[in-house]
Amino acid sequence: MTLTHSPAATANPDLDPGQSAGSNVEHGERVRRKDGDLILTGRGRYLDDIELPRLTHAAVLRSPHPHARIISVNLDAALRMPGVVTALSGGQAMPLAGPVPHYYDPAVAGERTAEFRCLAVEKVLYVGQPVAAVVAETLHEAEAALKFIEVDYEVLPFVTDELAALEPGAPRIFEDWDDNVLIRSAFAEGDTDAAFAGAAHTLREEIRIQRYNTAPMETRGYIATWGLDGVLTFHGSSQNPHPLRSNLATSLGVPETKIRVVAARLGGGFGHKFHGYPEEPLVCVLSKIVGRPVQWLETRSDSMLVGAREMVHHIEVAFEDDGEIVAWRNLIHANIGALGSMAGWGMSFVAGMAFPGPYRVKNYDVTSLAIVTNKAPWNGARGYGKESAALAIERTVDRVAQELGLDPVQVRRRNFIPSDEFPYWTAAKRLDSGNYDGVMDKVVELAGYDALRLEQVSVRGEGRLFGVGVAFELTPEGGDFPGDLVRGFDTSTVRVDPSGDVRVLTGVTSPGTGNETGIAQVVARELGVSVDTVTVYQGDTDVSPYGYGNASSRSMNVGGGSALLAARDVKERLALAAGVLMEDDPAALTFADGWITTTNGHRMRFSEVARAVFTQSIAIPAMNQPQLESTRTYGPDNLLHVPDEHGRVSPYPTYPNSGHIASVEVDRDTGVVRLLSYAAVDDCGTVINPTMVEGQFFGAIVMGIGGALWEELPYDNSGRPVAGTFKHYLMPRTPDLPEIRIGSQVTPSPFTILGTKGAGEGGVAGAVACIANAVNDALRPLGVTAHQMPLSGPRVLEAINTAVPL
Amino acid sequence: MSTTQPPGSAHAHDELPSSTVTLIVNDQPRSARCPDRTLLVELIRDELGLFGTHAGCLNGDCGACTVNVDGRITKSCLVLAPAAEGTTITTVEGLGEPGALHPVQEAFWEKDGFQCGFCLPGQLFATIDLLDHEDAPSDDDIRGALAGNICRCTGYQKIIDSVRCAAERTARTPD
Ligand code: FES
Ligand code: FES
Repeated sequence: MTLTHSPAATANPDLDPGQSAGSNVEHGERVRRKDGDLILTGRGRYLDDIELPRLTHAAVLRSPHPHARIISVNLDAALRMPGVVTALSGGQAMPLAGPVPHYYDPAVAGERTAEFRCLAVEKVLYVGQPVAAVVAETLHEAEAALKFIEVDYEVLPFVTDELAALEPGAPRIFEDWDDNVLIRSAFAEGDTDAAFAGAAHTLREEIRIQRYNTAPMETRGYIATWGLDGVLTFHGSSQNPHPLRSNLATSLGVPETKIRVVAARLGGGFGHKFHGYPEEPLVCVLSKIVGRPVQWLETRSDSMLVGAREMVHHIEVAFEDDGEIVAWRNLIHANIGALGSMAGWGMSFVAGMAFPGPYRVKNYDVTSLAIVTNKAPWNGARGYGKESAALAIERTVDRVAQELGLDPVQVRRRNFIPSDEFPYWTAAKRLDSGNYDGVMDKVVELAGYDALRLEQVSVRGEGRLFGVGVAFELTPEGGDFPGDLVRGFDTSTVRVDPSGDVRVLTGVTSPGTGNETGIAQVVARELGVSVDTVTVYQGDTDVSPYGYGNASSRSMNVGGGSALLAARDVKERLALAAGVLMEDDPAALTFADGWITTTNGHRMRFSEVARAVFTQSIAIPAMNQPQLESTRTYGPDNLLHVPDEHGRVSPYPTYPNSGHIASVEVDRDTGVVRLLSYAAVDDCGTVINPTMVEGQFFGAIVMGIGGALWEELPYDNSGRPVAGTFKHYLMPRTPDLPEIRIGSQVTPSPFTILGTKGAGEGGVAGAVACIANAVNDALRPLGVTAHQMPLSGPRVLEAINTAVPL
Repeated sequence: MSTTQPPGSAHAHDELPSSTVTLIVNDQPRSARCPDRTLLVELIRDELGLFGTHAGCLNGDCGACTVNVDGRITKSCLVLAPAAEGTTITTVEGLGEPGALHPVQEAFWEKDGFQCGFCLPGQLFATIDLLDHEDAPSDDDIRGALAGNICRCTGYQKIIDSVRCAAERTARTPD
């Protein structure tokens, strides 16, 4: 298979309305979600719904200490408990499974790395690290037996604060490192020092984003079972089943051909179901030992161990009287916990890379430090550091407006990259296309911005704290990271059966977002058939071509793109056959509504021609393409890894963007924030199915609101995580939210075959920043800022209490 | 989330205080023997094989385990199975089936009131319950009715649109 790069202008039929005529499903059609009837009637099957004969259940004993040496593990008493089939310690697991391969190994980026076993062997590095496991007939029995495992620990000094971890005498998380810094990523352009020296104004802020994750409603789970033929079947709630298969092969020392990973229907992913978790190889080892299927399911409190996002921005901005921002300086400290093998650490890189957002700022100097501590490791979380960058960027833009007495919308307009300057290079990105002013116009109108400002004047006049927040989000998407199994292209097979039914086998997966519906639409449109005749197969490594699954809003760009190319191949073969059968030029045929029609009005059913290809090819010599199947790989242009003349590379190909405006009222006595209105407009390029794209945008916005106001995974002074249920980890609920109004603008990417830019992640970052700006705008009359997220009642009250009484 | 108590593991049942629970589920008489500590959600899923009822927290917080017990919507992770003796239960499987969806399910499909679908039992039962009591619910009524059900995917907006759509339709077709 070859990677197909499509020259922008020629390979983008969706920019040419002439070519879309005659297709059955236009892009932009609101096709209902595939399998909706199954899902709505409780017939969708998720991981915990898989029934296997003789299934056993694993429970995991986790470290109660943030940092300790394991002296001994005694399993004897646990093994005598009712229902227990086996128990395993880290030492026993050592020869059975190698280190858990990293989702993306920092060593590939030339950085330090560390190895993590499925069960800790010598040391535990965080509360919650797996130490031993029990397999029993029932989960209750397995859990009960955990209490009888005796582990002797020598408790070690620990550090959970990122600044303390940087101190020279701090406890070392990894003994062979000479400090606690995993990676220092730097992004710079221009002459920042000179720009600061020459600027009319400068200001600095410290902005903190808290540790929180994505909390999908379905937690993780895995089931391993070994066949008599030595084949391991691994059912998992995984966003990336093929790379997971490769990593299991490495870890278990089994040929990759002897492993089949089947990703079950996911109850949400959002990065939480990226791989690299210790329990993945663990269940395989346990199943091998007991000779029966073993299932492990993450409890809700286990899921709240997984960290993400915790960063502090020490940020400075230099600007002129008219609101022009001339330079940014930012030092980011990311508290990534004890690293682990999951996908989290890269968020610290992206938080720096995302600068300077949507703004034409030619001088900046951004450094991001990924600092390891004795907190549980991160995994990827929707936003992937872009939300952190947006918060810092957008808060400082608002501070600039405030200092100058300018309107925050105007300051943004003053600094936007103009539409005619794309593609636009920054230190580590080439932005594909955009019309940021257009998005801003639309959201200003949708939100009724001017009326909100008038309302603010009158409400403030009553002494109430009413704030209007504005934010703009730029979301790098579809990242390609060579050197490991995190790539920006993907592969699809399109097959037409003799019945004329169409199958699409694709390497991208759906965590419940609906990309299968969009991919089916793309193929149906190309072949001129009903979308109901197209079935999309995802997630089974024995069925779909090798692919990289679900991440970085990539699914339509590369799953849709590769399926489109494969569909074109198949269409060509069908056209060849139809041309022979109807004696017309294959190039002149139209495919629409399930018919293939000649220029002079003859027509055959799509299904008839498909059947003829199977039944008549070769026998009719001109019909010499007997198989209706093609596999194609597609990656966007604009994945730039060979440094240009300035040494720049760009791992992200597309840049959706969105504008957000919210209004809030803050209760002066309690600090509680009430969200009054929310409007947002996004531009993610060509839209295949507006219903699905809207759904992604709504979900992302509310995830951003949740993170801005409530969701948090705090640690106590003893290094233990505090939140273990949704009574501590507060998710947004319906009464917390106003009607959310959204709009869209379409600026196609010139670098993707469909013109898409990626939908799914976009909205989180804008919402976090927008709410932070709204709350701070509300607090303005008090002369205080609240820059420690989330802006929960107590934290806002703390800020209010710093106000100097008038 | 875990709710598993495989039917085959009889020995475990013998050692713990157990009862036979008899009830009507989706119009069928059913009975199962299970340890007294079994949660209703475990009975429904693992003994009765009705996997449409989901467990998102086992703590009463999320609503994914919602069923209707004797006419009342109930979080089945908060009820012990023996306490459901003699009850009549409807699970999400009993609301409708492919090709014959309940009108509320239809509205959720048309308005795209779900993504991954994990939270649906709670959203659907809460909506049906609301519309049973309120022909023309206000926005506050709708938000209040759904408050016990967390959805991570949708941001709720299309769920609320779905409820409005279902309300309009039910209002138009008096029974
Ligand atoms: S599982 Fe019952 S409320 Fe969450
Ligand atoms: S649709 Fe996924 S949790 Fe609601």
